[in-house]
Amino acid sequence: MTLILTDEEQALADSVRRFVAERSPLTSLRQLISSGEPFDAGVWKQMTAQLGLAGLAIPEEYGGAGAGLSALSVALVELGAGLVASPLLGSAVLAAGTLLRLDDEDAKRELLPGIAAGELMATLALAGGRSKAVLVGDGSEPALSGTVSPVLNGTEADVLLVPADSGSGTVLYLVRAEAPGLTRTRLAAADHSRSLARIRLNATPARALAGDAAAALSAAADLANLALASESAGAMRACLDMTSGYAKIRVAFGQPIGAFQAVKHRLADMQKNWELGYAAVRDAARAGDEEPGRFSVAASVARVLLAEAYFDAVVDTVQLHGGIGFTWEHDAHLYYKNGLSNKVLFGTPGEQLDRLADSLGI
Amino acid sequence: MTEDFRARARAWLEANAPRRAAGDDDGESGAATTLAEQKAFQAKLYDAGFAGITWPTEYGGQGLTNAEQIDWSREARDYDLPNGAFFIGLSMPGNTILEVGSEAQKKRYLPAMLRGEEIWCQLFSEPGAGSDVASLQTSAVRDGDGWVLNGQKVWTSGAQYSDFGAVLARTDPAKPKHEGISMFIVDMHAPGVTVRPLKVATGHSPFNEVFFDNVRIPADGLIGEENKGWAAAVVMLRHERIAIGTMSAPRTSPLGYESLRSLAAGLGRTDDQAVRRRLAELYARSRGVQLFGLLLREEAMAGRLPGARGSVAKLAGSDLGRFAANVALDVLGDQLAGSDAEELQTVATLIVAAPGSAIAGGTSEIQRNIIGERVLGLAKDPGVDRSTPFNQLRVGTQRSDVPASSGEPR
Repeated sequence: MTLILTDEEQALADSVRRFVAERSPLTSLRQLISSGEPFDAGVWKQMTAQLGLAGLAIPEEYGGAGAGLSALSVALVELGAGLVASPLLGSAVLAAGTLLRLDDEDAKRELLPGIAAGELMATLALAGGRSKAVLVGDGSEPALSGTVSPVLNGTEADVLLVPADSGSGTVLYLVRAEAPGLTRTRLAAADHSRSLARIRLNATPARALAGDAAAALSAAADLANLALASESAGAMRACLDMTSGYAKIRVAFGQPIGAFQAVKHRLADMQKNWELGYAAVRDAARAGDEEPGRFSVAASVARVLLAEAYFDAVVDTVQLHGGIGFTWEHDAHLYYKNGLSNKVLFGTPGEQLDRLADSLGI
Repeated sequence: MTEDFRARARAWLEANAPRRAAGDDDGESGAATTLAEQKAFQAKLYDAGFAGITWPTEYGGQGLTNAEQIDWSREARDYDLPNGAFFIGLSMPGNTILEVGSEAQKKRYLPAMLRGEEIWCQLFSEPGAGSDVASLQTSAVRDGDGWVLNGQKVWTSGAQYSDFGAVLARTDPAKPKHEGISMFIVDMHAPGVTVRPLKVATGHSPFNEVFFDNVRIPADGLIGEENKGWAAAVVMLRHERIAIGTMSAPRTSPLGYESLRSLAAGLGRTDDQAVRRRLAELYARSRGVQLFGLLLREEAMAGRLPGARGSVAKLAGSDLGRFAANVALDVLGDQLAGSDAEELQTVATLIVAAPGSAIAGGTSEIQRNIIGERVLGLAKDPGVDRSTPFNQLRVGTQRSDVPASSGEPR
């Protein structure tokens, strides 16, 4: 197992980076803010049909490329750097990852090829365990009631995987977008690059999915940790480049501000924190493919390190730019909001540490 | 081929070196062994073909690659090699002589170091020159074809048993501070060399002060060129950071995650959510530092040398030590303030020692300057002293009630 990128992974990183620069620069995120669209459908089509990003970690037998989690992580680093808004995390990472760990062959055959192609959008209605749906009605015609929020891409998803209390433990259910009694409300998301919704179920017909829901949800939490850590590593790198670049050209008191230790030392700490977080992301991504027994802890480590490091970095990015960094026209606030959101989505820092402590058996 | 090497290394270590016991992390490898035993072990290491793994064979090395060096480090981390007295000499003066020394110096000194015959120390820091080591005041004045050395060095590890030292001294005080320094080989047994132990905050004396009183340095004692000693110093400091930054951390340390976790369990503290979270965070941060070290080594194997990123490893290691000390504080509570349990006293001593790692081998502030300037490419510190002749500079510690004494040793 190596941490450094293979030639193939480097080529993938380069092509995604080029794609982001050409097709989804930060100006396109600003267009989404104006239009209110959750993501750019043209960009999503290219990401999936042309680059095959949605199928990277889905096995070939279900229509994916079977390239594994390390390749997926490499792509997420580059997408994160450009704050690319897309259903990739909700659909291709979390929903697909959950399905793959269930035993419901019919559901896998029905849904995964569409998810891998980017033609079907799925999501996992997992929200920190605070809001849970419950099973109503009898076992022959299951239906769900309750509220789950915030759900990633909840408004756009064609199908939702909803964990619910069945009376004898948690079961995962499949709910279709057109099902009666389903209300989806788009939320005001702190981070412009995420589309979040509140899902309300009122005796909504659902299909129980076969398999160990608890194990699948635990796997999904690990995937969320790896994915958010990967995106954060990319975004943090972008903040570091942007801020050190500015510190080289902005002059005050007759010097580029990067010459002053008050500025230089904060950037040095940012670089140090990034190096440790990135190494942890590489370790988690590789463990996911090669040492599954280590994956949960490794993904937690990466997430814990980057949730804090990236948020510290966005705060410093605004601060070190000074006044210009606090304006709407500057990109610093786009990262600030992403850093804020990445810190709390799928587990606050305290919950992340609790999960890691549990996995370590403390 | 490296698989063979690794298997050979493992077999040799198992047969010849003691396994590392929990708690052996006070930075004094093989502290309990005598100097004679250390020399004998280094000689045995040399005979077995594991000394100077990457050094050329003509200077006593094995002529192998970084891959074998990394294999060796990985295998050796589980053992307590009783040759700590040679660590500084081999990694710092040794590597520097290999890079900038004369052919005669390489032939004379390198094989003797590898065979365990001669121990070396590094003499850079002075009471008035720490982070700003280029403001050093020890002087070497021309006398015939050699030099006469006067001044004081401090924080010198191993000076009490060293045979030679690599010393920085000022050879031209009329030049700007970086341009009037030379590096010499000084015979630590020469007349005029006095070594005194330096007691630190923990009560131990891991370092020394070294005084030079008219010590003669022969003509062939100059490393590199006269007045080009700063360039040689930069080479040595780079080797120092790499040696410290990529040192394989021992698996167990009383301030490490495993030890603190079992201490916490023993004290019934792991039911406290705050303590559980602190321990989990310590685990995460330790892994981050460990994985970054691994990444640097992989990059080195792939031909990308760490360069100034060695400073990232050094800074991260010191930060981790500080964090671990804080976690220990949370875990042990007021038992740290006073205890008759030896285990807790060891932890308390290490907490007292923790600030040292953010100072030794270049302070964290200097590491941040290096990262900012050489990794991120930020503008250099606006120093006022780069072009001023040294003898017109204010250096060291100065009080307003005492007139400045430019360039004179205190």
